[in-house]
Amino acid sequence: MRKQQLTFLFLTFILALSACKKEGEEIDTEYPTIDVTGTAFPQQCDVIKRGEKFIFRAKLSDNIALGSVSIDVHHNFDHHSHSTEVNECNLSAVKQPAKPFLLIKDFPLPTGEKTYEVAQEVTVPADVDPGDYHFLIRLTDKTGWQTLKGLSIKIN
Amino acid sequence: MVLLFSTLFCYGLFAQTHSVSGLVTDDFNHPLANTNVKLTNTNFFAVSDSLGKFSFQLANGKYELQTNALGFHAVKNKIIVDGSAIKIVLRLKSYSHLLNEVIIKSKAAEARRKEESLNIEIIKADFIQRNLGGSLMNTLQRLPGIKTIGIGSGQSKPLIRGLGFNRVVVIDKGIKHEGQQWGADHGLEIDQFAAEEIEIIKGAASFAYGADAIGGAINIKAPTLPAPNSFGGDVNLIGKTNNGLYGTSVRLFQRKKKLFFDGRFTYQNYGDYRVPTDTLYVYDFAVGLHKNYLRNTAGRETGIHFNTGYLTEKFKTLFYLSNTYSKSGFFANAHGLEPRRVDAKLYDASTRDILMPSQQVNHFKLINRTILAIDNHNLELELGYQHNFRQEYNHYVNHGYMPPVYPSSMNIPIDLEREFDKQVYAFHAKDQMILGNHLLQMGINGEIQDNAINGWSFLVPAFKQKSLGMYAYDKFKVNDKLLLHGAIRYDFAQLNLFNYADWFFSETASGSMEKLIRASDFKRNFKSLVWSVGMNYNFDLLAFKANIGKSFRIPIAKELGANGVNYHYFSYEKGNPNLDPEQSYQADFSIAVKTEKWSAILSPFFNYFPNYIYLNPTSAHDYFYGAGNQVFEYAQSEVIRYGGEVQVKYQFNKQWSSEVLAEYLYAEQMSGDKRGYTLPFSPPASALFNITYSPHRLLGYSDAYFSLDYRITAKQGNIVPPERKTAGYSLFNFQAGTKLQIGQYPLAVSVQLQNVFNTKYLNHTSFYRLISLPEQGRNLVLSLKMPFNFSHHH
Repeated sequence: MRKQQLTFLFLTFILALSACKKEGEEIDTEYPTIDVTGTAFPQQCDVIKRGEKFIFRAKLSDNIALGSVSIDVHHNFDHHSHSTEVNECNLSAVKQPAKPFLLIKDFPLPTGEKTYEVAQEVTVPADVDPGDYHFLIRLTDKTGWQTLKGLSIKIN
Repeated sequence: MVLLFSTLFCYGLFAQTHSVSGLVTDDFNHPLANTNVKLTNTNFFAVSDSLGKFSFQLANGKYELQTNALGFHAVKNKIIVDGSAIKIVLRLKSYSHLLNEVIIKSKAAEARRKEESLNIEIIKADFIQRNLGGSLMNTLQRLPGIKTIGIGSGQSKPLIRGLGFNRVVVIDKGIKHEGQQWGADHGLEIDQFAAEEIEIIKGAASFAYGADAIGGAINIKAPTLPAPNSFGGDVNLIGKTNNGLYGTSVRLFQRKKKLFFDGRFTYQNYGDYRVPTDTLYVYDFAVGLHKNYLRNTAGRETGIHFNTGYLTEKFKTLFYLSNTYSKSGFFANAHGLEPRRVDAKLYDASTRDILMPSQQVNHFKLINRTILAIDNHNLELELGYQHNFRQEYNHYVNHGYMPPVYPSSMNIPIDLEREFDKQVYAFHAKDQMILGNHLLQMGINGEIQDNAINGWSFLVPAFKQKSLGMYAYDKFKVNDKLLLHGAIRYDFAQLNLFNYADWFFSETASGSMEKLIRASDFKRNFKSLVWSVGMNYNFDLLAFKANIGKSFRIPIAKELGANGVNYHYFSYEKGNPNLDPEQSYQADFSIAVKTEKWSAILSPFFNYFPNYIYLNPTSAHDYFYGAGNQVFEYAQSEVIRYGGEVQVKYQFNKQWSSEVLAEYLYAEQMSGDKRGYTLPFSPPASALFNITYSPHRLLGYSDAYFSLDYRITAKQGNIVPPERKTAGYSLFNFQAGTKLQIGQYPLAVSVQLQNVFNTKYLNHTSFYRLISLPEQGRNLVLSLKMPFNFSHHH
């Protein structure tokens, strides 16, 4: 008798659980991607000239829809961090920054696009410190997944 | 009659013996487990099992049994064995059974469980010694429904059924432990060697402990009072191979009749911990690990405790003073998600040094507890002061618009990234009275918090917080089988956030430079009414529980006022000053069956939040306040959660037993930006299979056990940004131990082999999961504990 009651209670519990488990809508669990190969610029270990302009190019893609992209160029004279890439680049000696180049910028992306090739002109002033820099690209998709690319570059 | 199970062991061999078995109980006939029953003038002793039973095999003759239990008068019984088996009941008298606290303590955990309508787990110091982990919370992880959010080998936060941080309250000796509101990556400042008994409440426990206890409560009880005219202590020694930990904890107590003191000192020193891999990938960049050591994860910990008090039959006042200090490093190659270049030569020179980044935490606590028993009233007053002081050190890196060179004019030390200084004054007064079949409890508690910040990085502004709550709780014994519970609580709280401006200039949209105002003075009041009803139905071997209740939590300063960049997570955290207090409705059930061989507990729950507060990673970047980082915004959404735990134990015979502990949790956001997603840090389903062998006699030592845990953890594919799916894994942990008799004192030896096969796996609820850092590899833990006694008062 007691055993039957228990079995019944247990089954009720299982049933209650399974009733809650509805057909879930597909949720997005994929990160967007930043492709820095081919025509992309800069790439790992690239060199940028002071006082000149360059075009930041990268292929961005997502399985659903892209969100926004931001770039952050900052000095790595103190070697505080490394890139997110497989290859290491030759670093110059550690030094004190005087007037390091700093660029923090976000670029609008067309809404709802799955792929986009970003091409933005960036000017590097002539009077900034030459040396090792990081070129950090942050890309989000519409859901809020973020992918990072931290490239090591040189400004000469 | 089913065979008596006993953890007995005695050494020596007898030619012709007879069984002497018995039961140890307290004044209320509740069985007492783990009680020493000694044969006077011999080296033989037995320890009562979880049902209070023990047994000896004795040759014919006259003997004297001496029973000693903490909190009880020692008892001596003369017995004569004369050709047949003997059965006896040893009823111990607690020495101050008029005082409520001792009554609760003297009841076996089993009885406590039967009288609480919420699901509770009670563990004692012996569980901690058997399963000793890197921190108290780590140790508790073996329990179903309990997980931790960890960072490194020594820091972790409790997670009860997937809820953690400010949704779990930690009570230390009657006062809420405070120090958790700042960051997610901070541990809990509790010395696990000072914990004698811990009660874990799974499910909303708001009415007794105040706001916050939505997910549950971890109640660390005050240590048992020393017996009158006692003078003794214990020594613990601990060693671990994985991180080269060595440590000790020494206790010394003395009590005359009314006055006592009880002191403890704990010290632990550990090196970097090892993982089962020699190369890690921080993104795609390969980081080599020197001899598998995770660079800079070493640490030191000290704990000082001093308790004293004055005790009479009807009145007692107790003082608990403690100070815990820890200094530990963070993994050097990645701080948060940020890859860091490391001078490998410097960092690999020693596995025990603590370089940057590192943290230093000091937690000071002074608690007074006064209890007065008058007629059928039991009055209790707790007063507490806490000071939590946390500093995080790091090399200065000019993230965002911070100046490239740290200005010499700054008053903040160059390596002080963050500092949190929290002072908390708290009180709790309650009256418990017996009115016929009602046990009525009424109480009031209040708290004042003062929080200051320092350091060159900013996340959360300084704040002050005041709260006051009142509650009433009635336990109504309808008959011997049925207990009804009802509780109601009203809270009022006020939060004041203070102004903060950056110390450096940022570039505005127009190109001009300004010091950003990140927080302005801001005040909010909150009030709330919560309730809970429950029942216990205990019938024969069956125990049924049900509880339903509403609970609430006021938003914390971080959720309302965060406005800074967490560079280590590439996130700009943005508080929302308009958040509503979080509300939760939860239903809890439990069915337990216990026979002499079987014990099974099934405890499902269902939980609904109309407005759960969570940090939502959005698709936006903010290049002004957020210096180009992804915006993480505090938001509220409707959430359902359900799940439960199963515990089944089977006793094959006197020596062999087996146990299965399983847990399952499902959470889903029903509205908002992350509709359809789970909640962050949702632990995957897991099951633990255990087999234990407790031989009666083993090479002349008593209380021996060999125990193997096999834990299977399912994969977690149910994630929410910024989490990653985590593969399933299985782990073996082995525990063994025994009690040796050194002179007149028992020496408890416990050995554990954690992660027996050095399995490489990722823990879904670890902070290091996001950079795919594997968990600690194989670890051999040795722990010795010896009580000693200077007085011979019998």
